Amino acid sequence: MSIVSINGCIGCEECIKSCPTDVIRLNRDTKKAEILYPEDCQICHLCRMYCPVDAITISPEKSIPVIVSWG
Amino acid sequence: MGLIMNKESKIYKLLPLILVFVGVPLLLWALGEFPKRSVFKELLSLIIILTFSLLLGQFFLTRTNKILVKQIKMSSVLKIHKFIGYVFIIIIMAHPFFIILPKFFDNTKTPFEAFTILLTSFNSLGIVLGMVAYMIMLIILITSFFRFKLHLQYRTWRKVHGYLAMLFIITATSHVINIGRYNSTSFSIYYLIVVASGIFYLLRIYLFKSTKKVIKND
Amino acid sequence: MTESKRKNSISRRSFIALAGGAAGAAAVASLGLHLDWETNNPKVDIDALGLDTFKTEVLVIGSGMAGLFAAVKAHDAGAKVLMVSKGRLGSSGLTPFAKGIFAYDPAKETLSIDEFVAAVSRSALGTNNPVYTRQMAEHSLARVNELKEWGFFDSTLYNKSFSKPIEERNIPIQERVTITHLVKENNKLVGAAGFSIDKEKVIIYEAKSIILCTGSGGFKPNGFPICDLTHDGTVMAYNIGAKVTGKEWNDGHPGKAKNAAACYDGWGDMFEQKPGTTGIEVHHDLGVDMNYVAYTNGSPLKMGPPGSGEKTEVSGGPFVPEEFSRQNSKPPDNGDRKPPKGGHGDGAPPGMGGSIVGGSSAGMAIHKSEGLVPINDQCESNIPGLYAAGDALGSYMSGGIYTQIGSSLSGSAVQGGVAGEAAANYCKNVEISHISTSKIEEIQEEILAPLKREAGYSPAWVTQTLQGIVIPNFVLYIKKENMLKAALAYVEELRDHHMPMLRAANMHELRLAHETANMIVSAEMKLKASLMRKESRCSHYRLDYPEMDPENWEAWINIFKGDDGTMQFEKQPFNSWSA
Ligand SMILES: Cc1cc2nc3c(=O)[nH]c(=O)nc-3n(C[C@H](O)[C@H](O)[C@H](O)COP(=O)(O)OP(=O)(O)OC[C@H]3O[C@@H](n4cnc5c(N)ncnc54)[C@H](O)[C@@H]3O)c2cc1C
Ligand code: SF4
Ligand code: SF4
Repeated sequence: MSIVSINGCIGCEECIKSCPTDVIRLNRDTKKAEILYPEDCQICHLCRMYCPVDAITISPEKSIPVIVSWG
Repeated sequence: MGLIMNKESKIYKLLPLILVFVGVPLLLWALGEFPKRSVFKELLSLIIILTFSLLLGQFFLTRTNKILVKQIKMSSVLKIHKFIGYVFIIIIMAHPFFIILPKFFDNTKTPFEAFTILLTSFNSLGIVLGMVAYMIMLIILITSFFRFKLHLQYRTWRKVHGYLAMLFIITATSHVINIGRYNSTSFSIYYLIVVASGIFYLLRIYLFKSTKKVIKND
Repeated sequence: MTESKRKNSISRRSFIALAGGAAGAAAVASLGLHLDWETNNPKVDIDALGLDTFKTEVLVIGSGMAGLFAAVKAHDAGAKVLMVSKGRLGSSGLTPFAKGIFAYDPAKETLSIDEFVAAVSRSALGTNNPVYTRQMAEHSLARVNELKEWGFFDSTLYNKSFSKPIEERNIPIQERVTITHLVKENNKLVGAAGFSIDKEKVIIYEAKSIILCTGSGGFKPNGFPICDLTHDGTVMAYNIGAKVTGKEWNDGHPGKAKNAAACYDGWGDMFEQKPGTTGIEVHHDLGVDMNYVAYTNGSPLKMGPPGSGEKTEVSGGPFVPEEFSRQNSKPPDNGDRKPPKGGHGDGAPPGMGGSIVGGSSAGMAIHKSEGLVPINDQCESNIPGLYAAGDALGSYMSGGIYTQIGSSLSGSAVQGGVAGEAAANYCKNVEISHISTSKIEEIQEEILAPLKREAGYSPAWVTQTLQGIVIPNFVLYIKKENMLKAALAYVEELRDHHMPMLRAANMHELRLAHETANMIVSAEMKLKASLMRKESRCSHYRLDYPEMDPENWEAWINIFKGDDGTMQFEKQPFNSWSA
């Protein structure tokens, strides 16, 4: 949900730097981007747009309850 | 370079190979739980996946494949081998560009920027493996092209070509497994089996020198 | 939001209950969310956390449009500049998502600047500060031309064009550093402090002058890309005695009912477009009209073309000056999603059709209405050496309602430039002071406290609880005395008992803990200012005081910390400067 998966990552860290809410981090062993805090993803797609190899997949659904003003 | 497969029977005889090197990857791609992307991007990916598996198939499309050579004419096998060799190596050579091709059609990073990042991500094992494999591939391509100018004995040439191919396939497969967008467990197992049997096949021939009969066919 | 499917265990029903008011707070707790709120198991080795100190003349905090120009202009005015940001240059805060920037081009416009300022003031019902409205218009073209030179209009991603002038000037920049404290010693501003989530270090900055370009903030709402901003600048400044303003106003951006949290999808493909410029087009937009319709008619609310929708079917509600009502203006070409059209001004954000929900930007006021109170037209606060620009400055450039499309972005650019120059000049006459060791130790202790707590409350849980309390339409938008007071009681509980007990297991959570604390303070400010303003005007709507009150309320509300540490409020008449 929200940010879903990373496939074909080249470890350039562009997405990590570009994510405003610190959702993605570099895995120190594999040297690849890893989704660590998906619950804080604001589904803004900046990471995907900054990724040079289009490795990131994002879904419009949020992984935690969505609180709005009326329903 | 042209391959003319004018007889349907040939295709029929090649069927097992086609199944293993086109059918299986297609199946794995279709069944795998990979995120769906636009048709254009998926098509690019598919081309690369199939190209790679067909390159793996090269191990079995040589004059050392006795069964095949018996069924189809030697010259046809060689033609197919050469065709796949040249055409698909060119596709593989171009595949880093395929990856940044979509950047021509959006407003984000320019293709040049994306490519620069790609080529400088040295901390990625997958990228480094890919670059090494790329170099070896270039060497294979150049030596194949100028094979007769090199004035090598056929035996020596065959060995050089075979070992280079082996080296290439090992680095390339590690590259694919490490960094490929479609690097599921099933894909990895498939690659490993194919590469292992390919290498085994090659080594058996080289090390046990049981190929004399075949060479007589020349 | 009825049709959206959810795979997790929380039922839709309890979930709606959650949005259903202050009682929702209890609901969150009983939902059985796996939030692991009891024990803290820090994965960070606290004792190994280092400390770095940096010195500079002008410290620019924030790297959006305002931060960019603050750094560039302060440098060009001769100061040594250091830029620090919670996120990345051009890829944090609201700036990455704004695609239309206003430029007043005298060659193209028929209105003079005087006429433009007058139109804005009429639409804003007096709530705007015409000095800042004019300043924005006067400088906008120059800033836009600089942006053009740096390649801003060539890509949807702003990091590259923003990096150009920064790199050309060798301005050092530290990214992914969250500033939590402004430091005042012996009654003088001496620096700031925060922590780096990558280096896992506390960082101290000694500076002569600081420009807060920290943007606005919200309650980490769903549907607006503002979840990294929690009014940090405002709260830090408030804590050292600065006056802040604008908390009663509301930005009324709606969201799509389906997948309400998906900002990107909610805005069509706007986030993926290149920016463009806009010309004069003054409206009275994106206040709480829709919230009022939803309150009276209930959900679902369909979003038709602006001016043609259900607005006409309800009586009462927020007052829109006749001249600027959408029914009277020519029908806007709806559906036109070219970049300059995007953002504010269209009745519906681009790509938004179908059922809508409210509160997507909950906790954020109209851009430029909230933030530090300026004491002059130089973006200076009441604390010498402390400046703010852009969404972090309560300049009332637009007023308590959106007036000129695209002016938010140019306003940030213009104010950044003005503040940069002013701060550089200020530096010429002051000596740099050092922060004492005891002060550093005290601050370090405060920053790391959530990591050291053995038990406490997780920031995620406190945030959700706060959202359940304040986000409902009948609390935040369609206000009345008893609900505001009820919500305030909950928020005060969070402030007194939960804020001091926020815990964090790692650097990511440490950032969340500080953000959550800032949201609680902001919520208190919002509720109290809303209670105080006993009238309705622009984007502030009181059900119990639905009319404008020109006699008592031709004034802005300033908030500051009293000597006893409590929140104090004062009125500042429109068109005057704060003492
Ligand atoms: C979806 C969307 C569409 C919009 N469309 C338009 C439009 O078309 N036209 C228009 O004019 N405006 C538009 N806006 C508004 C516009 O984006 C903002 O008003 C403007 O960008 C604000 O710029 P800023 O530099 O003042 O603040 P921001 O861009 O919000 O930057 C704040 C900066 O402060 C940093 N920061 C915050 N807290 C801390 C901390 N504690 N420590 C360190 N750093 C910190 C952040 O990392 C960030 O870099 C839009 C906004 C959104 C969200
Ligand atoms: S979509 Fe936005 S918030 Fe989510 S991971 Fe990507 S950059 Fe971060
Ligand atoms: S931007 Fe793309 S390639 Fe680079 S680290 Fe992130 S996911 Fe990997």
